[in-house]
Amino acid sequence: MSGFRLNSRDGVGTLLNTGRAVNFTFDGKPYQGFEGDTLASALIANGVSIVARSFKYHRPRGVFTAGSEEPSALVTLHNGPRTEPNIRATEVELYEGLVAKSQNNWPSVKFDLMAVNQLPGKAFSAGFYYKTFMGPARPGHKATQFWWMCEQFIRRAAGLGRGASLPDPDRYAKMNAFCDVLIAGGGPSGIAAALRAASAGAKVILCDERATMGGSLIGTSDVLNGERADIWVRERLAELAAMENVTLLPRTTVQSMFDDGTYLTVERVADHKVQPTPHEPRQRSWIIRAKSAVIATGAIERPIVFAGNDRPGVMLADSARRYASEFGVAPGRQVVVFCNNDSGWLAARDMARAGVIVTAIVDVRSDVADDIRAAGEETRAEIFTGAAVKSTQGWQTLTGVELCEFSEVTGQTGATLRKLGCDCLAVSGGWSPAFHLTSQQGGKPVWDAELQAFLPGEPVTTWHGAGAMAGKFGLRAAFRSGEEAAVLALADAGLGEGESDVPEIEGDTIDYAPAPVFEIRSDGKSFVDLQHDVTADDVRLAHREGFISVEHLKRYTTLGMATDQGKTSNVTGLSIMAEARGKPIPEVGTTRFRPPYSPTALGALAGERYGHLSSERRTPMHDWHVENGAGMYANGPWMRPESYNAPGETVEQAYIRETKAVRASVGLVDVSTLGKIDVQGPDAAEFLNRVYSNGFAKLPVGKARYGLMLREDGFLFDDGTTWRLDENRFLMTTTTAGAGRVMEHLEYHRDVVWPDLKVALTSVSDEWAGVAVAGPKSRAVLKACVEGCDVSNEGIPFMGVREAQINGIPVLIARLSFSGELAYEVYTGAHWGQALWEALMNAGKKFGIVPYGLEALSTLRIEKGHVAGPELNGRTTPYDLGLGGMVSTKKNFVGSVLLSRETFKAEDRLQLVAIKSIDGQRIRGGSHLVKGSKDNPGRSEGNTTSTCFSPELNTYMSLALLEGGSARHGEKMFAANPVRGAHVAVEVISPHIVDPDGGRMHG
Amino acid sequence: MADRPERISPLHAVAEPGVYGANTDAPQVELSERLCGSLVQVQAWPDTAAEVEKRFAKELGVKPGKLGVTKGDVIIMPTGPGRWLIDHEDEGLEARLRKAVPVDLAAVTGLTHARVVVSLNGPKAAWVMASGVALDFDLSAFPVGGVQVSHHHEIGLTIHRTREDGFDLYGFTSYALGLWHWATHASAEVGYRVS
Repeated sequence: MSGFRLNSRDGVGTLLNTGRAVNFTFDGKPYQGFEGDTLASALIANGVSIVARSFKYHRPRGVFTAGSEEPSALVTLHNGPRTEPNIRATEVELYEGLVAKSQNNWPSVKFDLMAVNQLPGKAFSAGFYYKTFMGPARPGHKATQFWWMCEQFIRRAAGLGRGASLPDPDRYAKMNAFCDVLIAGGGPSGIAAALRAASAGAKVILCDERATMGGSLIGTSDVLNGERADIWVRERLAELAAMENVTLLPRTTVQSMFDDGTYLTVERVADHKVQPTPHEPRQRSWIIRAKSAVIATGAIERPIVFAGNDRPGVMLADSARRYASEFGVAPGRQVVVFCNNDSGWLAARDMARAGVIVTAIVDVRSDVADDIRAAGEETRAEIFTGAAVKSTQGWQTLTGVELCEFSEVTGQTGATLRKLGCDCLAVSGGWSPAFHLTSQQGGKPVWDAELQAFLPGEPVTTWHGAGAMAGKFGLRAAFRSGEEAAVLALADAGLGEGESDVPEIEGDTIDYAPAPVFEIRSDGKSFVDLQHDVTADDVRLAHREGFISVEHLKRYTTLGMATDQGKTSNVTGLSIMAEARGKPIPEVGTTRFRPPYSPTALGALAGERYGHLSSERRTPMHDWHVENGAGMYANGPWMRPESYNAPGETVEQAYIRETKAVRASVGLVDVSTLGKIDVQGPDAAEFLNRVYSNGFAKLPVGKARYGLMLREDGFLFDDGTTWRLDENRFLMTTTTAGAGRVMEHLEYHRDVVWPDLKVALTSVSDEWAGVAVAGPKSRAVLKACVEGCDVSNEGIPFMGVREAQINGIPVLIARLSFSGELAYEVYTGAHWGQALWEALMNAGKKFGIVPYGLEALSTLRIEKGHVAGPELNGRTTPYDLGLGGMVSTKKNFVGSVLLSRETFKAEDRLQLVAIKSIDGQRIRGGSHLVKGSKDNPGRSEGNTTSTCFSPELNTYMSLALLEGGSARHGEKMFAANPVRGAHVAVEVISPHIVDPDGGRMHG
Repeated sequence: MADRPERISPLHAVAEPGVYGANTDAPQVELSERLCGSLVQVQAWPDTAAEVEKRFAKELGVKPGKLGVTKGDVIIMPTGPGRWLIDHEDEGLEARLRKAVPVDLAAVTGLTHARVVVSLNGPKAAWVMASGVALDFDLSAFPVGGVQVSHHHEIGLTIHRTREDGFDLYGFTSYALGLWHWATHASAEVGYRVS
């Protein structure tokens, strides 16, 4: 192919601004094109024939199409972190400074040593990987092992481009939009639908994947209302753009159709620039919710399969026409057109009118309508009917074709007719409606024998097809069907019919039905799927080996896979399989398209739900923690201080120091993350009495109670304290992680199980900042700062709740202990959280108060034997954790019936114990409790749940669940963690190490 | 007794006045944040909603409607059947309402500290909102005064349309920084002023 730029004039280069030259590079070499060019059109205009190497055989490939269906001309754009591989050159808008590179070749795209892959002949045929690499490795089957070694090299040799490993510097935005009618496709039928729907006052969104809307109107020679089609369409688009109820989205592909009228579209906001302007997203994904939709996505031209049909210079006929008329580029100096339908002839005529030399038109049909033949004769090309291209010639690019006689009735080739020199072969094998979107929703395609194509099946959601997508070919049908679809869509949206405005059309009337010819059989590689190097022989091989189902065919041969998803190959592949099976095409079936319609950057799907825009919760004291050296880490969505490390201190050293300080004097910890639920209403007490296993009906006002919540099946669900603030108002606390699920649990029971109870449930987790003050000096600290409340043992007894003030801040104080020490939880409004924290720190200075983090908090409660999330693991009951005393026998509660199962009282259930390291070795989290040696550990009799270094025991310890554990205190075992190579001698002890009689807490 | 300290907004360190993003000559969005004097939720029982509305009228001088109602320094926003969120300058509102609407009529819950209010105004306010919230911001679907309980980035958000091109966003305090970052990031493309 030796393309060149045509003289720009009316009807030639309708998309170009020849007044503005654009410089770009391809494989490092500078080139020039015009504004309006695509990378593909500019490369052709510069005579660049080979732009890529094929996936498997590394065969040279050129530009095959002019749109998003391109299988061959894949390139890598940009450098550095913006590097993006596998981009279709046919979709890349040319811009100043564009950098493009070929891919999958070495050392260059023109001379690729990896083309040696073609030499093993049929060794790399369909199923190569399955046959070569699958199979048992056993003595006597060394070959498989050898091939395994080869696999890494073969896989490296195959493939497409390579992405960047650096973070993507661009932003990807999202947008939500709602409309009455979404129109996918801005061709004639889409524009007709948009005009009709807009005239009815509907809120319309019109999307088109190309930069310039208009579809086939941009390059056609037809005349609409006395104007050239490209001029007419620009005027109509300007009208639409001026309407407030219409949104035009060019460069926007409707990628996916979901349920209930939801569509994902991706707008390429800045892909036509070197890089986005500051703050501009590179792409924007639109989630569009439409009351109805008109799908006007057109049709994709099919190739015909014959030997050497992938050689650079072979391209689809309509694409060749578009390059001439829209981009002012001749696809070659001598063009031969090969077709099985009328549209190929018109492509030849339009190219000739644009100044392209068409040397021959070859049609498999014997009979061609007079007006079509006349169109062909206008080109002055030699005309061959009842003939076919049997094969192509050329070393790297096309230099000629071999013609033979052909019978469209028998599908058999006859005698060789001629060898013709040419550098471009424009092929048209018919048209496949682009019903990918509707197929995603499950509408089963229907075979149209006349059009030799599948049409979209019955809609299963609210959409209406228009134009070629619906099998309505030709401009007149496109306009009519566009308006008809719009009227139906308007009815879906509850709107009137609007006004009809179909233009007068002067132009061709042709029959789009092709002859049922998909392949010209001859020797040599005949490609069905150019992107994955799948040949017609591969399809027949799959048939011989039993992979006759369409789905199996796809997976065995990879036909229809990869970035183009078989847009130009699916129907042809099916036809070859149908012939091999001796069945009609519709009986062989078709695969269902899946979203997205065309390759989409992952960034566009992810949007901005990462980094600092991810959902992160901070407590009111967050800044203080950070400023005072806390190492913060994510605990679910919450950021929490792990420990406040002194210079040079490890986390373990820090939490041991913090734990000792609490036991010896006093510390404070941020407990704002606890779930907090306001439970109010005349029936609030009764409600709590039903959801907790222990009694809450008689909890006095001003007191808190620790409660256990069970699931219906009797297993523990969550725990926490609930404070009675007045007769009908409670403040429930939950575990940090359990807040959401407890709320759902409560709402379910309130709404579904006991709708007669008047109880309001409101999350107040964010309302309250919470600080736990723990240690023997905690009361002294409160005494130093609390106003309006007696903090003595009598003033705030154990589990007492009081209102007070600290430093002028209203607070709630509850005497609760998670640590096993004398302790209080102090709550205030979140916006005073930091002020409260600082007031308590100041008050505690003289007692050596220390802030402590989550590690020390955990250590303190482990030493005390208080359970938390790791023990409330969904498989434990109150009895297992030594909390049987909190199970009321006097009332029913959620889980009470199934908790009474005998199996829950079995003596060998996993029960809560503690274990301590006998020789001081670290006990690893996730260890199993075994009796045997490291080499022969025996079966697991339990597992650790919460592990720490215990300052109280001066060794590592862990809470654990052990079979029959409550009766095994004193037993020696091993905590085995074979993954980490740990096998630690431990002694089983009571989980209540600190203050077993509660003297400190109650003191 | 010590003087009560100022409340600290979770956005105090980030909401710096200035003009940011693109179009710094003509920013299309204005952002500001405020803490409510009081924010109180009132949840009536299924059979008491009408009576609660009467109590509002008596206590606050405002009768709730299907849309949010603003009168003087009080905003009553319907957020569900028989449920309202009341934004008021009066810091003692919770106590007042607890007396005016006893528990046999409704549950009164203070949320003053549980939310921050980010105001987003300007010609592109609806456009910015649509970029993060899956609601139809067309005036026909979301009129002035309308209140929607929705979410951004899966985090709950109550949205009050204060004018054709203005919204008050009631976001959770613990997620406030994320809400602010989203609002500023989304507004950067059209330019924004923090006031």
